[in-house]
Amino acid sequence: MNRSHYHPKQDRQKFKQRLLWAALLVLAGFSVLLGRMAYLQIALYDKYHHLAEGNRITLEILPPKRGRIFDRNHILLADNRPVYVIAFVPEKTPHWEGLLTELSALFPYKFDTAHKNKFAHWARNQKKFKTLTLPFELDETEAARFAARSYRFPGYQLKTQLKRVYPYGDITAHVVGYMGRITRADLERLDHKRYQGTSVTGKSGIEKFYEDRLMGQPGWRQVETNAQGRVIRVLEEHPPVPGEDLVLTLDIRLQQYAYTLLQQQQGAIAALQPETGAVLALASSPGFDANLFVNGISKKNYQTLLSDPKRPLINRPIAGIYPPGSTIKPFIALIALEQGIISPHYSIFDPGYFTYAGHTYRNWKRQGHGRVDMHKAIQESCDTFFYQIGLKMGIDLIHNGLSEFGLGRKTGIDLPGEKAGLIPNKAWKRAVKGKPWYNGETIIAAIGQGYVLSTPIQLARATAILANRGTQVIPHLLNEPVSPEGQVHIHNRQNWERVIDSMVAVMHDTHGTARRAGKLIAPYRMAGKTGTAQVKGLRAEEEYDEENTPFHERDHALFVGFAPVNNPQIAISVIVEHGGSGGKIAAPLATRLAKYWLDHHMTTHKTANDAK
Amino acid sequence: MQNKTFLEKLHLDAWLLLGILFLSTTSILVIYSASGGNMAVVERHAIRIGLAFMLMLAMAQVPPRQLMQWAPWLFLLGVMLLVAVLLVGSIGKGARRWLDFGLFRFQPSELMKLALPMFLAWLYAWSPMPPSWNRLLAGMAFIVLTAGLIVVQPDLGTALLIAASGVFVLFFVGLPWKFIFSAIAAGVAALPVIWHFMYDYQKQRVLTFLNPESDPLGAGYHIIQSKIAIGSGGLWGKGFMGSTQAHLEFLPESTTDFIFSVFSEEFGLWGVLLLLIGYTFVIFRGLWIAWMAQDNFGRLLAASLSMTLFIYALVNIGMVSGLLPVVGLPLPLISYGGSALVTLMLGFGILMSIHTHKDFMRSPA
Repeated sequence: MNRSHYHPKQDRQKFKQRLLWAALLVLAGFSVLLGRMAYLQIALYDKYHHLAEGNRITLEILPPKRGRIFDRNHILLADNRPVYVIAFVPEKTPHWEGLLTELSALFPYKFDTAHKNKFAHWARNQKKFKTLTLPFELDETEAARFAARSYRFPGYQLKTQLKRVYPYGDITAHVVGYMGRITRADLERLDHKRYQGTSVTGKSGIEKFYEDRLMGQPGWRQVETNAQGRVIRVLEEHPPVPGEDLVLTLDIRLQQYAYTLLQQQQGAIAALQPETGAVLALASSPGFDANLFVNGISKKNYQTLLSDPKRPLINRPIAGIYPPGSTIKPFIALIALEQGIISPHYSIFDPGYFTYAGHTYRNWKRQGHGRVDMHKAIQESCDTFFYQIGLKMGIDLIHNGLSEFGLGRKTGIDLPGEKAGLIPNKAWKRAVKGKPWYNGETIIAAIGQGYVLSTPIQLARATAILANRGTQVIPHLLNEPVSPEGQVHIHNRQNWERVIDSMVAVMHDTHGTARRAGKLIAPYRMAGKTGTAQVKGLRAEEEYDEENTPFHERDHALFVGFAPVNNPQIAISVIVEHGGSGGKIAAPLATRLAKYWLDHHMTTHKTANDAK
Repeated sequence: MQNKTFLEKLHLDAWLLLGILFLSTTSILVIYSASGGNMAVVERHAIRIGLAFMLMLAMAQVPPRQLMQWAPWLFLLGVMLLVAVLLVGSIGKGARRWLDFGLFRFQPSELMKLALPMFLAWLYAWSPMPPSWNRLLAGMAFIVLTAGLIVVQPDLGTALLIAASGVFVLFFVGLPWKFIFSAIAAGVAALPVIWHFMYDYQKQRVLTFLNPESDPLGAGYHIIQSKIAIGSGGLWGKGFMGSTQAHLEFLPESTTDFIFSVFSEEFGLWGVLLLLIGYTFVIFRGLWIAWMAQDNFGRLLAASLSMTLFIYALVNIGMVSGLLPVVGLPLPLISYGGSALVTLMLGFGILMSIHTHKDFMRSPA
């Protein structure tokens, strides 16, 4: 420390001098503020007094009208309907609590005493100058009844509001989604300025995904009001910009039909237009009424939906992950052909099981299929054949091939909450499970079991790519062109046709696993593949017995297919949870849906996407 | 000393306490009015004031020597927490300002409001006046480091205010006038450069400040309505609970950043004068404590903390009356809100400690 210049006394004097300067700064700063206040409160008093006291200038937020949602034929799926509500400002409504009791007597079925007490309790804790809205809506007759008696309710005012309405309630609940009250969490991501005057936002489905386009921009209006708050005149008005109306690729009649087909079942149907990837139907069952959510769902209703063991809130086509089972066999066969693992004439003898490294892998048909080539293996869904070629291919080839068909990864559909599923490979198992890959796991992966998981929309997309003979498409709901992704690296045209021929045999040949369902689609021809996915692993000696298996352990029934074979108009995937046999349960749903579409499609109005 | 008064035994300063009590009482009254008579809000606020008083009392027991020993470590801790905030802090409204400890959330920049002036006072505790240029430059570097870590959160307002508390230490340690004036000149010249590095929302605030009517739905609206509230209060005000602007919900943040508008609408120019006298009283008492302090550390810290209170009041009132851009800063001791209050009261605790822990064995330096 250099203390040679340290003169404590002198330094203290210098410090005190600085303190005096600081005190002067405080006085100067506060004098400026006081001067500013005097300017505002004395010189400009008249101006501001006039603005605040006499005629007040109020800024009113004008919430935008939310865009509507239509199906491909311009049928309304989400609409805005005016409803009446009653509102009041506690500060300006001297006897609001007593009048509330009278209102309860006027509308006892909508606002009973218990409701009233709950609301009054809530209202007492709100700011006294805030506008409060009663928690029920009135239709026109009820509004008229209130209006006729409004002299008895000074301070209570009738207001109109736009309410979101879903004409197809449960049928479109998952895909169109629903609106709900803005929560704290929503406020973190939404633009506060834009949502002034708006109390709801898209919570799921299209309503959430396209929130930004549907929402619109709020406007504002400067009005002059008298001391009672009534508008005297409008000074300036910037009207709100309404949200965009959206047209979906969905066909509501097909959607309705798909939903009906799944009635009483748990499951999903996804139907795409193969050429474009446009989603024609996306049904999830069981459904729920989306209209329940619009004004904030009641705790009881929400609990019921949440605790339902059938889990109606899950959007199964995109967020349900299932073992695809035998539905992936055509893809495996195609990859094996292209890679030269098998030739079209390659055959094996199937005794009904396959033994590898001391384990026995059983075929679904105990007695076996005898001599089996690729064609027969797909047509009759021979497991033994695919056990063997799967082992020859190895898991990494299977992984790379199936990934090109979009299995095990998100499709990028324009809906929130899509799940990826999984197509395993060696690297994945090492990274996630910390264990090496076993060949036994490849054997069951080749028939879509084990670690293999996919969503119905993935299967529909893979089927569409098959129908396109390799052109990859992205499933989408908004009726705007989406450019195709690319091409699957399978260039031998004959390989595509061979596999598709085998899938036609599934539907239309005497030994096909979906031959009964195949009859339903006449006069058209369809290519398809059934799947029956095990939910519970069976030991080698165990026999699957549907009758005596508890429901939640029964097999899932699956089906994928497209039609017509040479000019594909629709690609479908169906899953019926615990439905049992894919051929018996899932395939007929797909053929009925395809026939419905093909019968009607040729005569319906064509939208931009179809015209291409 | 044999006959200490009760307050002296508690290491409290009667005059400072009087000023703080006056401002806190005012605070409760205005919050009652601004919240529309919401007793729940008032109760929460009163409890916070009570807790903050306890902390002040606890702080006053810590002798300045102890504070001096803590100073460098507190500052180091503060820097580390600021870095931690940037790495793992919680995001709220687009900025990382908080550390989430599960039970409570903590804003390290609050700690820095005390830690930076303490650290600088420690740095110059043994220096002559003015210190060597090396030492002055080192102090400036620490100020820039602290402010820089807060600017990138981003929280420009808090960064500037914390920097100000550090600059005041430099001022009191005798930063040459020549340097002060040339720095101000350089600052003015650098404005366009600062503009270039500002975030869009900060630019927007400045633009709105220059022309409030350009953004009637956003911040400009706040200023317009705040000016109407203040101006319509006139000389005498509309009386307690008489704020029409707040009650008609014209005023945003009426219990926090814009509480001064409610105050001046209800109590008028005379009320504002009284409030400013209250602030001046507290600040001057703080400067007096600095005047009487025995050592450099106490002197510099007491003076800097007092002037920080001045800057906070100046910026908030300047902001709501349209003299300064909106920076989102509460009115000290009056606004609703916990963490800023705690920091302030801890600062008062330090002032009281400096004043009441006199070492009579040492001859006054």
